[in-house]
Amino acid sequence: MSDDATRTLGKGSTPPGPVPEGVIRLYSMRFCPYAHRTRLVLRAKGIRHEVININLRNKPEWYFTKHPFGQIPVLENSKCQLIYESVIACEYLDDAYPGRKLYPYDPYERARQKMLLELFYKILGYQNTVFFGGDCISMIDYLFWPWFERLEVYGIADCVNHTPTLRLWIAAMKQDPTVCSLLTDKNTFLGFLNLYFQNNPGAFDYGLSC
Amino acid sequence: MSGGTVRSLGKGSAPPGPVPEGLIRVYSMRFCPFAKRTLLVLRAKGIRHEVININLKNKPEWFFKKNPSGLVPVLETSLGQLICESAITCEYLDEAYPGKKLLPGDPYEKACQKMVFESFSKVPSLMVGFLGKQNKEDCSGLKEELHKEFSKLEEVLTDKKTTFFGGNSLSMIDYLIWPWFERLEALELNECVDHTPTLKLWMAAMKKDPTVSSLLTDVKTFQGFFNLYLQNSPEACDYGL
Repeated sequence: MSDDATRTLGKGSTPPGPVPEGVIRLYSMRFCPYAHRTRLVLRAKGIRHEVININLRNKPEWYFTKHPFGQIPVLENSKCQLIYESVIACEYLDDAYPGRKLYPYDPYERARQKMLLELFYKILGYQNTVFFGGDCISMIDYLFWPWFERLEVYGIADCVNHTPTLRLWIAAMKQDPTVCSLLTDKNTFLGFLNLYFQNNPGAFDYGLSC
Repeated sequence: MSGGTVRSLGKGSAPPGPVPEGLIRVYSMRFCPFAKRTLLVLRAKGIRHEVININLKNKPEWFFKKNPSGLVPVLETSLGQLICESAITCEYLDEAYPGKKLLPGDPYEKACQKMVFESFSKVPSLMVGFLGKQNKEDCSGLKEELHKEFSKLEEVLTDKKTTFFGGNSLSMIDYLIWPWFERLEALELNECVDHTPTLKLWMAAMKKDPTVSSLLTDVKTFQGFFNLYLQNSPEACDYGL
C-alpha cells in the first residue's frame, strides 16, 4: 500500500499543523504525473516524508498559502520553507538530502539531462492540434503511441490541469480503429511484465490460450 | 573576445574548426537576450572564451549540427560537447568552472532562485510583442500584462528586503533576467517600471555592476538592430559594426 493512499483535503478542511522535524511534507494528488515525479525522488532517495493529498477540484482555502495558485506538487519542510514546480522540487531533494545522487556529478552530463527534459516539453508543446501531425492521426501519433499506451496501464489519465491536450490526445487515439484493434488490456500487460521480470520464458506467451 | 565586434557567420560560411583546449566557445548573436545571459556569466566568472556570432536571418547550414533548432546560445567545449538552452548553459558554466559561484550552495536558496526564474518566464514573449509596435494603441493590453509580471518581481524584492534577487550581492538570477530590462529603454517601456520602485532601484544597481556595464548595448544600437530585424534584413545582426 502506497504511503500516499489517503483521502484528499478539500474546502473547509482544517489546515495541517507545522511539519515535524526530520520529515518533509509533500502536497500531492495520487494521479498527478508532476507530483509523481517528486514521489519517485522521495522514494528513490529514501527520504522520510509525509504526503497530504489535495482535492484539486475543491481546493482548501488554506492551500493558497502554500502555493499562490493552489498547484501541486509543493514541498514544505520543518523550517516552513516552501518549494514548488516539480522539477525544482526534485532538484532540491537531490541537493538537500544525502545518499544516492540522482543527477550526475559531471556538469556536462547534468546539462544533457536538462536538455533532454526540454525536448520532452517540446513534445508536449508541439501539440497545438488534436493529433501531433494535425487534425487527423498520422505517423508521428503512431510512433509515440506505444509508450503512452503503456503509461496508460498505470493510470495517469485523471490528472487535472497539467496536460489537458495530452489527455485529449490519449482519448482520441483510443478511438482510432487501428489503435483500438491493437490495444493490449491492462491485466494482460501486467501479467506479461510480472513473468518477464522473473525471467520466465513463458512471459512472451502470457494470455494465449492453449 | 567580447563578442561586440565580430561579424556574424551566415549561409555559405566555412564551419569553424574544433575549439582549442583551455577555451570554451559560445555561438551567439550580439542582440539576442538569451545569448546575453551566457555572455554575462562567462564575463562574471572570468572564463576564457571565444564568440562566434551567427547571422540569425541567414543561418549557416553547419550551425544546425551544433543545435538542430538553429537557436543561440550554444556552448561548445574543446571535447566537442554541445550545450544548448540559455539557462542550461549558464548553470553548466557555474558548475564546470571554478571561482565565484553564481548559484547559491544552499539547496533552498538555489530552489528560490529557480522559482523566481519561473515567475519571470512570461516576460520574454510579452516583450517580443512590443517590437515594431508603432501604434501605441496596440500596446495597452500588452503593457498591462507586463505591469502584472513586473509587480510579481517587485513583490519578490520587497519581501526579501535585499537589493538583488538573490541577496545583497548580484547572483545568477539577476544575470538571467537582466537582458530584458536592458532593452526596456530602447522599446520605450521605461514607464513599465514606474510603479515598481524597488525593481527600478535594482535596474540602477545592475547598471553599476562591472560585468553588466561592460556588456551594455546603447539604446540607438538596439533601435538600429530592431529596425533592420523587423525588415528581415540579413544585415541586422551586424548592425553597428
